[in-house]
Amino acid sequence: MNAVAEGVPVRLEGVTKRFGAVLAVDSVDLHVPPGKLVTLLGPSGCGKTTTLRLVAGLERPTAGRVWIADEDVTDLPAARRGVTMVFQSYALFPHLTVFENVAYGLRVQRLPAAEVRRRVMEALELVGLPETAERYPAQLSGGQQQRVALARALVMQPRVLLFDEPLSNLDAKLRRRVRAEIRMLQQRLGITSLYVTHDQAEALALSDVVVVMNQGRVEQVGIPEEVYRRPRTRFVADFIGEANLLPATFWEGAVEVASYRFPVEQEEVRDGPVTVMVRPEAVVVSQDASGLPGVVRTVFFMGMTTELLVDTPAGEVLATQPYRADRRIVPGEQVRLRFEPAGVYLLPAEDGRG
Amino acid sequence: MLAGRVGALVPGVEARRQLADPGLALAFLAGAFALAVFVLYPTVRVLAYPSLQDYLSIPHSVRWVQAARNSLLSAVLSTTTAVAVGLAFAFATTRPDVPGSRFFRAVALLPLFAPPFMVAFSYILLFGRQGLVTRHLLGLDVNIFGPHGLWLVQTVAFFPLAMLVIVGVLESISPSLEQAARNLGADDWQVTRTVTLALARPGIAGAALVVAISVLADFGNAVVIAGGWPLLATEAWFRMEGMADLRGASLVVAMLVVPTTALFLLERYWVGRKRYTTVTGRGGRLERPPTYPPLKWASFAVCGVTSILVLLVYLGVVAGAFTAVWGRDWSFTLDHWRLAADRTPSLWASLRVAAGAGAVTAVAGILLAFLAGRPLPLRRALDFLAVLPGALPGVFVGVGFVLAFNRPPLELVGTPWILILALAFWHLPLGYQAAAAQLQQIDRSIEEAASNLGARGLHLLRDVYLPLLSRAFVEGFTVSFVRAVTNVSIAVFLVSPGNVVATFAILNMIGNGIWGGAAALTTMLLLVTFAVLAGARLVVGRALRPAGVG
Ligand SMILES: Nc1ncnc2c1ncn2[C@@H]1O[C@H](COP(=O)(O)OP(=O)(O)OP(=O)(O)O)[C@@H](O)[C@H]1O
Ligand SMILES: [Mg+2]
Repeated sequence: MNAVAEGVPVRLEGVTKRFGAVLAVDSVDLHVPPGKLVTLLGPSGCGKTTTLRLVAGLERPTAGRVWIADEDVTDLPAARRGVTMVFQSYALFPHLTVFENVAYGLRVQRLPAAEVRRRVMEALELVGLPETAERYPAQLSGGQQQRVALARALVMQPRVLLFDEPLSNLDAKLRRRVRAEIRMLQQRLGITSLYVTHDQAEALALSDVVVVMNQGRVEQVGIPEEVYRRPRTRFVADFIGEANLLPATFWEGAVEVASYRFPVEQEEVRDGPVTVMVRPEAVVVSQDASGLPGVVRTVFFMGMTTELLVDTPAGEVLATQPYRADRRIVPGEQVRLRFEPAGVYLLPAEDGRG
Repeated sequence: MLAGRVGALVPGVEARRQLADPGLALAFLAGAFALAVFVLYPTVRVLAYPSLQDYLSIPHSVRWVQAARNSLLSAVLSTTTAVAVGLAFAFATTRPDVPGSRFFRAVALLPLFAPPFMVAFSYILLFGRQGLVTRHLLGLDVNIFGPHGLWLVQTVAFFPLAMLVIVGVLESISPSLEQAARNLGADDWQVTRTVTLALARPGIAGAALVVAISVLADFGNAVVIAGGWPLLATEAWFRMEGMADLRGASLVVAMLVVPTTALFLLERYWVGRKRYTTVTGRGGRLERPPTYPPLKWASFAVCGVTSILVLLVYLGVVAGAFTAVWGRDWSFTLDHWRLAADRTPSLWASLRVAAGAGAVTAVAGILLAFLAGRPLPLRRALDFLAVLPGALPGVFVGVGFVLAFNRPPLELVGTPWILILALAFWHLPLGYQAAAAQLQQIDRSIEEAASNLGARGLHLLRDVYLPLLSRAFVEGFTVSFVRAVTNVSIAVFLVSPGNVVATFAILNMIGNGIWGGAAALTTMLLLVTFAVLAGARLVVGRALRPAGVG
């Protein structure tokens, strides 16, 4: 299993899943390229887990087809898909040792004992836990349990690996470390992976491709930088990172927010009303004569940065400033705001969603 | 707060400080005294009554060896089938995709409310020589008296106990474990075998121990249906009734208490610890995968047949109460109710005794739970004595009270008090556990209230303690009352001519072949039971059920 396997692609075509009246997944099209890691990102209840379970075969779609390696697996039972899953709750068997947990799937296949032993130890080696083999899950820390769950999925040499919010039970520091480990392993083994999370930072850090979901539908698909820099809807802009969304007018290559007009280079924008998305980091606060005028309402000290909430004629604007000991901004101060082009993107005006 | 922490580490100092409070010291003395007199003393009296010679002679007495062997045999047989049926019910009621799942749960609780002789009595009416089903519907000549009848009856009477224990375990198995097994390639049967049943194993063991105690202690069914087949529980009474042989009776119940106590300790200190915590970390809402079809239909079949048997228990008795002459004249009559009405004094006696027992159980339970939650000396001993009666068969308690209170300074034999106190302290674990559960809530809220609101003692008592304690009282009272009003195992030893309780009267009627009257009086007892339970449900807002040894 140490060799980089030939990854296989996964495809969903118009997949829909209903639970009675609930439309959990609504005609989703999705492509996971071979050996890549794709994240499904979205708020709670948007259908991420259901999509994952459809790929795993734990759920049957109401409509649409699921393809793995160019084979239609829609009607194939879970056990025959070559897909394993890392569960959000780990789902380790409490009555079995770590070794037996990892060996479970191999034993079900009735492999010879020697091979089981070799592959289990290999998998435990891979996640860095060979010394815990004889312990029970209750005797492991949360992070270790998480890695045993990963080993249990890896040992099956799956064609596709599924993760359902695998880090949500870990504290913030551990989450970063395990996140990096998962990414390294996945790339080293070249296993096609689908990864569910509702943490946008995790999605951006981890994925080859991010799929943003909302209310059962796919909102946008792109590499992390693209969904962050060029969100297609208000929902995506808002969900991925912080975003100021201001009403504005666009004409002749420049946009006007209240009295502040600045050039924007963006294709396929028609003249007329638009919504400007500005990342808080792209807002420059100054005492200059030009820019959007405003009055500082509150100031939050955040360590190396300071967050300002500024009232402007276009609405409230959140600005993140690098901390400067020599220049302290206080509430009530009159300021001017300018927007860096790298953090600005134009969306259709009030598309009514998000 | 800090004092409490330190106190937990140095019990001696803190205990002395606590006892400096005169109210608490008084309560402590009262609790310790009650346990010593009404739990410890009768127990010791029974065990010390026979001489060493008597104990050594046990293996040479054919009758006793036979009774012991029969008791163990019936414990093994009835426990096995009751646990198997209980497992099927537990399985069916925790899997919504088994047809009739909710119906089965409701039916399975019914035997818990029946007086301890009722299953046997009803089955004699239905399946005996004159049985409505066996003789008159099927034309068979069946003798239900004997070990086989007892086996059937105890299976039906005690499977609900097994079910309740196993349900608790099955419900705690996270569906994600079954999903994970399936995801790793296991088929339905492998999932069931290697995950579901494997995880339920400690629960099944615990259920077997609980049921075995009840089967060994079962007096009511055995005395009605075992016929001439000697058992330890019934033998004790025959010794006492027929031969006034106190020594023999105490020897027999001493033989009986050894296995029940061993099983009880095993359950409490070994199986109790072996349960798995299956929920690791946060889980999503997941559904259980569909049930393995052969298992689904097997449990459906077992539950279906058993449900019919359970419903027949009630139907048989009610039918008996309205049938002119069972087995000969099937016409409708109200005569038996007139006969039963003649016995209303015994019904009143039952209600008085049960009300007394309920009140004493509830008060003693609250007092002891309160004491056990405090760093007092002998705390663990108090706790142990408060749960110990759960290990004692009713006949043991009955003999114990006769021996302990038939002479000064506490001569209670012949008064209603002896029965009230025996039942009250036998049911003590129920009141104690109900109160402990409530007090746990108080401890938390009281600290918050105390620190937030300052010392407003009276308000605290009125707003926090009283509502929760009155709940504990109602729970303890109800459970003890319902079991007391239907009790036979203790009552047979402690009734006196002026204080005949209804169950004793019923047992005599059954023995004398007055089936109609017995059925009518039993039906009246059932009505009382369900009325009290319904009233308690209104007060505490949830259903209570009397469960435990017979
Ligand atoms: N078995 C089910 N029966 C009925 N409704 C379901 C079932 N499973 C999911 N749903 C519904 O489908 C919708 C999507 O659920 P899903 O679990 O896929 O959300 P999610 O994006 O994973 O959310 P979360 O971030 O909270 O895990 C929800 O409205 C949920 O209530
Ligand atoms: Mg989910």
